[in-house]
Amino acid sequence: MNNPVLGRELLSLFRSRRMALVQCLLPAVLGLLILLRWPSEDRLALSGNRSMEVFRLFALGLLSTMLLLMPVFPATSIVKEKITGTLALLLNTPLGGFRIYFGKLLAILALAALVMLLSLPAACACYALGGIRFDSHLVKLYVLLALVVLQCTTLGLLVSTYAGTIDGAIRVTYGIMLGLSVVSLGPHFFFQGTDGYLATIGDWLRCASPFAALASVLGAGDLGSQGLMSVTDVPGRFMLFSLGMAAVCAVWTLSRLNHSIFDRSRSAGMVADDQSAGVRLFRRLFFLVDPNRRSPGIPPLVNPVMVKEFRCRKFGRLHWLLRLVAVMAMLSLALAFAATAGSTDWSVSRIGAIMVILQVALFVLITPSIAAALLSSERESGGWLLLQSTPLSPWRIVWGKLLSVILTVALVFCATLPGYLVIVMIEPGMVSQVQRALVCLAFTAVFSMMLSAGVGSLFSRTTASTTIAYIVLLLVSVVPLLIWLGRDAPFGQSTVEKALLVNPAGAAMSALRAEGFTDYNLIPGNWWFLGGASVVCLIVLLVQTWRISRPQ
Amino acid sequence: MAAERPVLEIENLTKKYGEFTALDSMTLSVDKGQILGLIGPNGAGKTTTIKILVGLQRPTSGHATIAGADCVRDAKKIKHLVGYMPDKFGSYENMRVREYLDFFGAAFGISRRIRNKRIDEVMETTGTTYMKDKFVDSLSHGMGQRVGIARTLIHDPEVIILDEPANGLDPQARIEMRELLLRLAAMGKTLLVTSHILPELARICNRAAIMTHGKLRAYGTVEEIGRQVSQQRLIEVQLENASQVEATATAIRQGLEAGAEVTPAPNESMVRFRTAKPEAELGALLAKLINAGLRVTQFREVQTDLEDAFMTFARPNQPAGGTGRP
Repeated sequence: MNNPVLGRELLSLFRSRRMALVQCLLPAVLGLLILLRWPSEDRLALSGNRSMEVFRLFALGLLSTMLLLMPVFPATSIVKEKITGTLALLLNTPLGGFRIYFGKLLAILALAALVMLLSLPAACACYALGGIRFDSHLVKLYVLLALVVLQCTTLGLLVSTYAGTIDGAIRVTYGIMLGLSVVSLGPHFFFQGTDGYLATIGDWLRCASPFAALASVLGAGDLGSQGLMSVTDVPGRFMLFSLGMAAVCAVWTLSRLNHSIFDRSRSAGMVADDQSAGVRLFRRLFFLVDPNRRSPGIPPLVNPVMVKEFRCRKFGRLHWLLRLVAVMAMLSLALAFAATAGSTDWSVSRIGAIMVILQVALFVLITPSIAAALLSSERESGGWLLLQSTPLSPWRIVWGKLLSVILTVALVFCATLPGYLVIVMIEPGMVSQVQRALVCLAFTAVFSMMLSAGVGSLFSRTTASTTIAYIVLLLVSVVPLLIWLGRDAPFGQSTVEKALLVNPAGAAMSALRAEGFTDYNLIPGNWWFLGGASVVCLIVLLVQTWRISRPQ
Repeated sequence: MAAERPVLEIENLTKKYGEFTALDSMTLSVDKGQILGLIGPNGAGKTTTIKILVGLQRPTSGHATIAGADCVRDAKKIKHLVGYMPDKFGSYENMRVREYLDFFGAAFGISRRIRNKRIDEVMETTGTTYMKDKFVDSLSHGMGQRVGIARTLIHDPEVIILDEPANGLDPQARIEMRELLLRLAAMGKTLLVTSHILPELARICNRAAIMTHGKLRAYGTVEEIGRQVSQQRLIEVQLENASQVEATATAIRQGLEAGAEVTPAPNESMVRFRTAKPEAELGALLAKLINAGLRVTQFREVQTDLEDAFMTFARPNQPAGGTGRP
């Protein structure tokens, strides 16, 4: 097929140094994973259990790699061209939306195929160990991976047509993929074994997760099954769901790949102060903090950079944050009340676990988007040069920026506090547990902020800093929990404990004595890790600030 | 009364990156209220010069002062003395023009009461009052450039340094920009402006400096630079009718040095010639032509414009030219 878009996409994808690095690192990491679990005994295990353990680890690593690596390419593909103006040039050629779309889609699928090819030597090593069937294990694994790639590529391309900024596209795509892969497992974990529609919804929802499908393909039973047997055909449902979603996303994206994609009027800059009194009152009630109100001057003794950050932040602006926090506060209150009043058969620790997950999910979702691009957004927009030409010292600039993140994160931290307060009021015996959980969450808040800021400061582009910060934070926050979900097989007690030691949510749930976390001793090891890593990230941020601000 | 000290003084300023010399012993000075046009091809060292002046880069040797403050030692003082507009606007999302100016005013430590007054003043000066509620990231390029100048004026600096302010502007916006810069000079501000649009620059600059390969090649008024470009002046002799063109050319050849370039143009009833002769000898030559009965209607020197001068210096292997003393 002679498609110039495909040729150009492949060229730009494969000739980057980053891609060469991925091609070298991926087989090395997968090889290392296998080496870690490779049997060292002299005896041969005829049952194949050991080889299956190795294969499960390899499959989980490969799926996680795909989910972390692939969404960034489709998410940035169209929006980047929209911003640089090349999409308008492409649409002006006789190529048409169909060929442009499939050129981009096939190029990303080719990249995914390459990644899968690079994993084949490691897969062959597992196969050579015995105990793994070619058709029901190997082939199914790669079919599952192909479905995941197709799903995230079509989704990313769709998001990219709507996004106005590159980091916005990345954030939304990763957010949806995180929701589909991990958050979708939550309802089933909590409602399995119960009667009613909630259990049915949970059972269906988890089929959207590739992790649940993978666990089923590898014969590991239901992910987080808590000993309950299930007859649901999870891989079958996942296939239907992913193919259906890919088809819908493809049709939807194609319908947008025409001149209408540029139909976005320039904001007139409407000011609420010029509206009628009724409109002003309505907006005040609706927004709480009206973003379109004419703002007063920056008050004295306030760091102007902090105010600037609050004013020009798109994601995480105050009116949205206040609503989010209000919803979370009400949710946590309702959960705590329902548990302690005995209206559900859930234990208080289970409610606490849900609140911890909600809280950590908020941190993971919000923090990188506001903290990762602290320096890179200024460097990219040329704002750093302007800030340097003012008498503000680089340290005051960074402190102002950090302050804007600290206040936001503090607000997010307060989101579930009412829930914990209700728990403590009704069950005073849990005071020390809740206190320890709150300390864990405070460490999590600081860690996610400093990790995002530190990692993000290493890059000069907003896209790169936001993406890498999300990936690193997701790796630390989600992968250990996935390992915990496989705590019966393939992972043993010590592996899970080591993984949870670096995980922000694990320690909080362990502190609350949540089900499944009582066997792990994670405090104060987890605090030392999070605190130490935060200090290291702060040093990285300060060194980077010094490096870019000193006169050359 | 002693002459006023130049506001901007650069002396033997040199910047090296390893073996590469980005700026080579540059010396020039600019008086208060003057507009200096800094001209040069890409990579000539203009931005390096500007960055040293605003304290973003350190020179390898030499020094530069603005209103007596050293650009390296008094970096903090320099920030108050200079208003700098880089070639990139530096916009922020979701920020209105007034908020944008308010932020930079606060960054310069101006109190809220004075800042509000100052914002109104700079918006008035730059003609941006009607944009106050618009988002800065939604402004057109021309609007953005004017808001950029308003930002540089917010702390009332003595010297304004503008990097390519007319780049990408449409003709009307360019005229408005030119008028704005002249207005600022009339207010007593000293301006250093870089631009590739040389006719624009020639119309507003009191002085121009041409740089190539890190060296200052020419410095002075546009006329002075023209002289530095070529010692041979181009003279046009306009005649009443074409029949006298050949006779005039012959008479001119006789009056000039041997081998002088004389070009008759019968279609235009004109003779052009190049000469290094001084004014007095040219006057004698004109008298000789008139006495010979040739009907001369105009006898004029064609000024070398900034574009010609720039092209002359931009040619490879040009030797270093002028000094920067006014």
